[in-house]
Amino acid sequence: MLQYTARRVAQAIAVLWAAYTVTFVVLYLLPSDPVSILLNQAGGTSGRPSADQIAQIQSQYGFDDPVIVQYVHHLFDAIQLDFGQSVSRGQSVTSLLSENLPPTLALTATALLFTVVIGGGLAFLATYVGWRPLRSFLHRLPAVGVSFPTFWVGLLLIQLFSFSLGWFPATGSEGISTLILPALTMSLPTAGILAQVLIRGLDDTLDQAHIATARAKGLSRLRIHGKHALKNASLPALTILGLLVGSTVTQAVVAETVFSRLGIGRLAQQAVLAQDIPLVQGIVVLAAAIFVVVNLVVDLIYPLLDPRVLPHTERRSRVRTTTPTPELA
Amino acid sequence: MTRSHRRPAARRGVLVALAAAAVLALSACGGGSDASSSADGPVQEGGTLRLAFNQDLFGNLDPNQNFWIESRSIDRNLVDSLTDQDPKTGEVVPWLATKWTVSPDATSYTFTLRDDVTFSDGTKLDAAAVKAAYDGIIELGPLASLGATYLSGYKETKVLSPTEVEVDFDTPNAAFLQATSTTTLAILSPKSYDADPKKRALGEFVGSGPFTLDSYTPAQSAKLTKRDDYAWGSGINKNTGAAHIDKLDVTFSPEESVLVGSLTSGQIDVAWPRNPLSEQSQETVKAAGGSVDSTVLPGLTYNLIPNVNGILGDDAVRTALGKGIDREEWAHTVFGDDYPVTKSVLDSTTPQAGDQSSLLGYDPDGAEKLLDDAGWKKGADGYRSKDGKPLAVEFVVVAPWAGWDLVQDQLKKIGIKFEQKVVTAAELTQNVNNGKFDLTASYFTRADGDVLRTFYDTSVVKPGTGPGAYAQKPDTAKKITGLFADEIKEIDPAKRKTIFDQIEKLFITTGSLIPLQDRAQIVAKSDKVHDLNYTSETFLRLNDVWLSK
Repeated sequence: MLQYTARRVAQAIAVLWAAYTVTFVVLYLLPSDPVSILLNQAGGTSGRPSADQIAQIQSQYGFDDPVIVQYVHHLFDAIQLDFGQSVSRGQSVTSLLSENLPPTLALTATALLFTVVIGGGLAFLATYVGWRPLRSFLHRLPAVGVSFPTFWVGLLLIQLFSFSLGWFPATGSEGISTLILPALTMSLPTAGILAQVLIRGLDDTLDQAHIATARAKGLSRLRIHGKHALKNASLPALTILGLLVGSTVTQAVVAETVFSRLGIGRLAQQAVLAQDIPLVQGIVVLAAAIFVVVNLVVDLIYPLLDPRVLPHTERRSRVRTTTPTPELA
Repeated sequence: MTRSHRRPAARRGVLVALAAAAVLALSACGGGSDASSSADGPVQEGGTLRLAFNQDLFGNLDPNQNFWIESRSIDRNLVDSLTDQDPKTGEVVPWLATKWTVSPDATSYTFTLRDDVTFSDGTKLDAAAVKAAYDGIIELGPLASLGATYLSGYKETKVLSPTEVEVDFDTPNAAFLQATSTTTLAILSPKSYDADPKKRALGEFVGSGPFTLDSYTPAQSAKLTKRDDYAWGSGINKNTGAAHIDKLDVTFSPEESVLVGSLTSGQIDVAWPRNPLSEQSQETVKAAGGSVDSTVLPGLTYNLIPNVNGILGDDAVRTALGKGIDREEWAHTVFGDDYPVTKSVLDSTTPQAGDQSSLLGYDPDGAEKLLDDAGWKKGADGYRSKDGKPLAVEFVVVAPWAGWDLVQDQLKKIGIKFEQKVVTAAELTQNVNNGKFDLTASYFTRADGDVLRTFYDTSVVKPGTGPGAYAQKPDTAKKITGLFADEIKEIDPAKRKTIFDQIEKLFITTGSLIPLQDRAQIVAKSDKVHDLNYTSETFLRLNDVWLSK
């Protein structure tokens, strides 16, 4: 177990380093001049910097050093969690990230909660219900949830629950009431995916031998469904959940823009459009870190849910390949 | 409108009903209010005005550093300026300065200040503070480049007495007086100039305005609270003392539908988008009992800027392009029948703007003849070419828009291929500053024609700093620079306007700028908001506004 954990942690660090390096290379190769971007923030199209003002800013941001020197210098700083100054905003990247991360975390956590409740609940219902027409309808419902564009769902929810009914505010980042609509918007597509995987898992598990035994023993249907089937079926769903956390972060971009919320998603979009290299790097590393940590946690939970999963790569991959992976569109 | 019920009751009942009907009819007809209407009823004190803009792109609230319109609107209520400008006449009127004299050669300005003004931290606003402010703006260098252009030729500020200050220039600056009324040259407390500009951008500065800043989260919210001891508002306002409302709550909402919905559902009181509200949105607002204010921003029209080093170096092509745009159809199709049609390279509410509509008529036949004579022959696909080179103009812009599509269609009729190249804002800046474009578009808000010099005088805008450096042929550039040199030293407003008339005509006839759109601003407000006013540059003015309960 210790060996397993150590290897996974080492892999996680490697992924983080790779993410940082790839971002650096890509951003460095982009055809833009950070100095003129910086100056245009201040003076619009009336900027007339002198040669030594340009030189001053270049040395301040380190743009005049050779690539390798900049890379090593910045990597060293990054390890100490210093990602430099944002070019488009007058704050350090770290302070921008620390301001914008809590609202996104709150949003993502709420969205995940909704995903599990809605997706899990729908999957449970779809496989529990006996009446055929309702059963097939519920089986098809997740696909609908996946196909709606988040942007459109968000605007629709605002119109209905905010403007018509007045239950929730349309914009803002303060208070629990501002979380509900954006989290709901983000959770519908992911709930759909989770439901699809869980329905498949439950249908497969319910066909297996040990379930027939449980039925023969006279256990109640609810107990079979909830205790025996769900535990096994939830393994692949848990893997998917790990991936969905990553996609929720990208979903946050749309939700945060539509609902005008503070957050990493919206910050990322603005940073990319402004070609704010230090800020984009900071966000990419942060997103990669979150992704890596979540997947690490999922991998460490696995053995607890199913003791058959030993820390041997072959056994683990065999268990995983028995579940079909739905399209993560 | 209600109809009175004719009951076989007493005549008195009928009269009362008729009176009630008349009152209701009158109130229904008095729906839309204009920005400067007198109070509808007695002014009520108190309340929080909730206002939403589209976005806060730069997150910079320092009045000396920023140029973003929404930021300047917020700043206008946090800081005061030496003078104010009457939105109706463009005349510069007293504010912090009660009177002034200008030297005939426009190189020296002497202001007499009020002596009762204090910053919100209690310190006095005197001549020394003015000196600290103007020196501080110059010291910011490239971070305050707009301020630097307003202070172009700045030599020094002299403190003659606590209430007398003299500002001297090395070269004439006749536009300085109007500049002193802007938020860009607002007076911050001397201590503010010791703070790091980055912190000032986040709101760490002290002004003398009718409101103080409680909190500012860039791109998210700004909260302002009124100053109870404010007593030196400019005479343009009905109320020169403390504001009627207690607080201003600013948020940002990029989606027009969310902005309008927030207004009609009562979540905000004022919806202030950057681009004019669509006609449907305006109808929705009015149907919910609200009203819209429509004002034309002064400054540069939304002009098309050519690059004479590319395909638009051909004079015939530039002139034909200008003739091939039907500006009336364009304005009315894109924005609605009531939208103003542009008359010049300067918006119509700019004090020095003239009416050049005679030069901007739609003349497709004339355009086609010019192109035919220049050798651009129409091909089978309707587009022209000459010696194998197609007449294709690459238009660089940050977002696709129906407005550009309409230009594309109109130019297709005369055989010009208008290609839209959509790039990110950062790439756009890079490209247009370095001349990597055929055509682009831009505007700027300032209530003085000198804004034309700031962006399109080739002696000011050098290659690498703006698209204006590439828009004029050398002989045109020389003439234009000469005219700008005349206007910047002409202190007589009437004579200055005449020079601007020549400048505008020259820009248009040489195709160095192709006017497209007068910029209107449409602000929607709920029926609770009264006396919401605007500055001469159509920024927010909170001195008079009040909320009914």
